[in-house]
Amino acid sequence: MTTPVAPESGAVPTERPARPAPSDAVLHRRARAALTRSAAVDRILAVLIGLVLMAAGVLVALLSYGVFGVARAGRPLLDPLIVDAMRGRPDVARLVVLGAGVLLVLLGLMWAARSLRPERHPDIVLDGGSDTAIVISSSAMADAISAQVNAIPGVGRARARLVGTDEAPALRITLWLADDAEVRSVLARLHDEVLAVARDSLGIAALPTAVRLELDTSTPHPRVA
Amino acid sequence: MRMLLRLLGLLIGLVMAAAGVLIVIEVIAAWLRRNVVTGLVVPWHLWRPQVETTSWNEAPVPGIAIAVAVIGLLLLLVGLLARRSHITLDGPAPEITVVTAPRVLARLVGRRVRGTDDIFSASVTVSPRHVSVIAQAWGKADPELRDIVRARVEELLDELPLHRRPRVSVLVQERQGTP
Repeated sequence: MTTPVAPESGAVPTERPARPAPSDAVLHRRARAALTRSAAVDRILAVLIGLVLMAAGVLVALLSYGVFGVARAGRPLLDPLIVDAMRGRPDVARLVVLGAGVLLVLLGLMWAARSLRPERHPDIVLDGGSDTAIVISSSAMADAISAQVNAIPGVGRARARLVGTDEAPALRITLWLADDAEVRSVLARLHDEVLAVARDSLGIAALPTAVRLELDTSTPHPRVA
Repeated sequence: MRMLLRLLGLLIGLVMAAAGVLIVIEVIAAWLRRNVVTGLVVPWHLWRPQVETTSWNEAPVPGIAIAVAVIGLLLLLVGLLARRSHITLDGPAPEITVVTAPRVLARLVGRRVRGTDDIFSASVTVSPRHVSVIAQAWGKADPELRDIVRARVEELLDELPLHRRPRVSVLVQERQGTP
């Protein structure tokens, strides 16, 4: 459990005890998920559509080259059998095609909207009492964390973002390290002096964090030592 | 690759939606105008005779089929290759995940190797499992110099809390262009 208030940090006090922390495995998984925006759905859709197109293309190519029989390859693309079947029950055929069209519109719009939608940055909502909720905007939180991380020796600059959902927020921090940075020391101070204080100040039990390390290239380096 | 995947997702989604809208429009138009054989937006009445007379073994059907298969293969590759590529470091707590890009480690290694006495330049290739260094020496490329360079790289890797320590291979060559 964490102490609800850290007065010297200047953060918002809360009287409510923190919720029990999730297990280490859950926290680790949430921290890994915060590394980058998930592309799992896009990847699955791309693989599925790729497989369907490839299978269709290969099958039609085999049919064209007579692998399934020369007579079959010589039949017209719009087979009279299919035309007759559709003419036999025109309303059913139209309904099937209409359903396929509607499905295409829905799936296409969902996929396009998903690609265009910016990543969500959740605000942190603290319970300030029976009729009070304290909201800390994601940008305010990110700015405060960035400023504190920037003060760690060895960090050239830093950028923080809140990601995830309202129920399970996580922190994504990009650190641009200076030449003389001790990575272990920087990470330890990030954990002890920034994240621990943030958790205590907010009264939350855990704040999964993904850290991406970069090199600060703002200062030129001598090519030969 | 992930950006390409997002762009492709947008493109394919819009194409699917546009095709769906055209299908819906044409089917409803055909339903309402039962005696009209022309399409409302799509001139399918002009395409139909061609589709009815062209057989599967006539051009351009095989070419289009191969093109579709190739596009499917490319899409499949983009989907499979759009993975995160990074080097994982051990964080100070389970709730902290730390990663860096292979190019960052390559720059650190390169800087450390170039800081070695008698080394003129270095080319470094890094993957999560392997660090490969090709260094050019000012003078003779003897085995001792290679051991020194390897030690410098190992020392750097010791300083980093790498989750999986990559193998190090070092090749020292004489500076090209020296008489």
